[in-house]
Amino acid sequence: MNSCKQLFDAAGIEEAISRIAGKIAADFAGDPRGVALVGIQQMGVPLAEKLCEALKSHGMDPEFGKLDITMYRDDFGTRDILPMINETNIGFAVDDKVIILVDDVLSSGRTIRAALDALTDFGRPGLIRLTVMVDRGEPEFPIRADYVGFNVSLPADRKVKVRFDETAEFGCGIFDVQWK
Amino acid sequence: MQWTRKDLLSIYDLSAEEITCILDTAEKFKEVSERRVKKVPALRGMTVVNFFVEPSTRTRVSFELAEQRLSADVVNMQAQASSLLKGETLLDTVKNIEALQVDLVVMRHSAPGAQNFIAKHLNCGVVNAGDGAHEHPTQALLDLFTIREKKGGFKGLNVTILGDILHSRVARSNIWGLLKLGANVTLAGPSTLVPREFEEIGCRVCHNLKDAVKDADVVNLLRIQHERQTVGFFPSTGEYSSWFGIKGATMDLMKKDVLIMHPGPINRDVELASEVADGSNSVILEQVTNGLAVRMAVLFLIAGVQK
Repeated sequence: MNSCKQLFDAAGIEEAISRIAGKIAADFAGDPRGVALVGIQQMGVPLAEKLCEALKSHGMDPEFGKLDITMYRDDFGTRDILPMINETNIGFAVDDKVIILVDDVLSSGRTIRAALDALTDFGRPGLIRLTVMVDRGEPEFPIRADYVGFNVSLPADRKVKVRFDETAEFGCGIFDVQWK
Repeated sequence: MQWTRKDLLSIYDLSAEEITCILDTAEKFKEVSERRVKKVPALRGMTVVNFFVEPSTRTRVSFELAEQRLSADVVNMQAQASSLLKGETLLDTVKNIEALQVDLVVMRHSAPGAQNFIAKHLNCGVVNAGDGAHEHPTQALLDLFTIREKKGGFKGLNVTILGDILHSRVARSNIWGLLKLGANVTLAGPSTLVPREFEEIGCRVCHNLKDAVKDADVVNLLRIQHERQTVGFFPSTGEYSSWFGIKGATMDLMKKDVLIMHPGPINRDVELASEVADGSNSVILEQVTNGLAVRMAVLFLIAGVQK
């Protein structure tokens, strides 16, 4: 790593979460189908947890799940490094439910494609929406986010990292990272 | 840890870290079989050949289901129906299989080391599904998975393997795995089937059932192979059963939370009484369930390193 620039700080993330929660509540509070937040491993999980908390102040109590998409990747066997599989835990019936998929960054859209396949193996949701903290704006697949924290436009060789934990390697915030 | 092997040939070759990597991966695959759609697309477009030169039902069915749940295309070959009977060499047969653009070969063979031999000559991945009395790595991995799930770990755990250790590939793979992960291994049975030589690799050898099981956290029983009896390793199955069979009364000698394991098929009331096999300490059917998850994990890791 030869450069790491902070784009937004912890307060920025807090503000974005409460803004997104307000929009989700406006759209789905009291929806008779029931609402569930599903975080995509890994960084979508802490974001979904925080959104669940924020939705409680809007009188909502959504279900919560974790989804790992490693078994659904479209680059299996072609990567040098096989990512470790993380926990999947969908402990509720997804049938007919409003599912809010949550991830940290929308980049190529391939993760979301895989997540849609994985999620529909658990049943037939009534509706699926996508929430991301950062939308990089140039997906390779026809996939768009419904709730966005920040729009960030950067060259393709840069990585955007979202960290919710002060003890993470570069602390809490959203970072523009350039690798050698 | 990064998995780098294109083949799974033995537990002896693996590090404790590699074994743990397989068990961790298997934990994630166990959940897949509980979904409504019990299938993931990880191996879509890949072809796996199950080449069983020695007969097998449960291992082959478990591998086949694991492959199907990973969305691989599956072909089953049996020795009786292969050109081995027409005099083709093993190497020619597997080279011909590979020429059909196969990605993985799962093989069982009666000759120890047969899989090591073909793995050297093939670019595709090779999984050992049992080679003679040498190793049966996926059986040991599913045993280790079951023990870890029930007991939480291996450090200081007392595991007794009871029965025909001499001829057992399941015992050998289990011994290597358990020792690497820090368990204390006791091998027990008649002295003809449990030679003292096993002490040299760090096992306790015990020819008395009570001593073998009283401190055990896990007792893993092996099938008494009737075909061995004609050679005279023990006088009769009845006598074996009275000295080394696990019965209801044996349970009183053991820890209350001892795990009773068996790789199957069970000889009921020979090495294991029905009341124990079907009792609350038995995890025999859970072993079968876990075998599926472990084999999915092995196939996934091995297929993932191929180019």
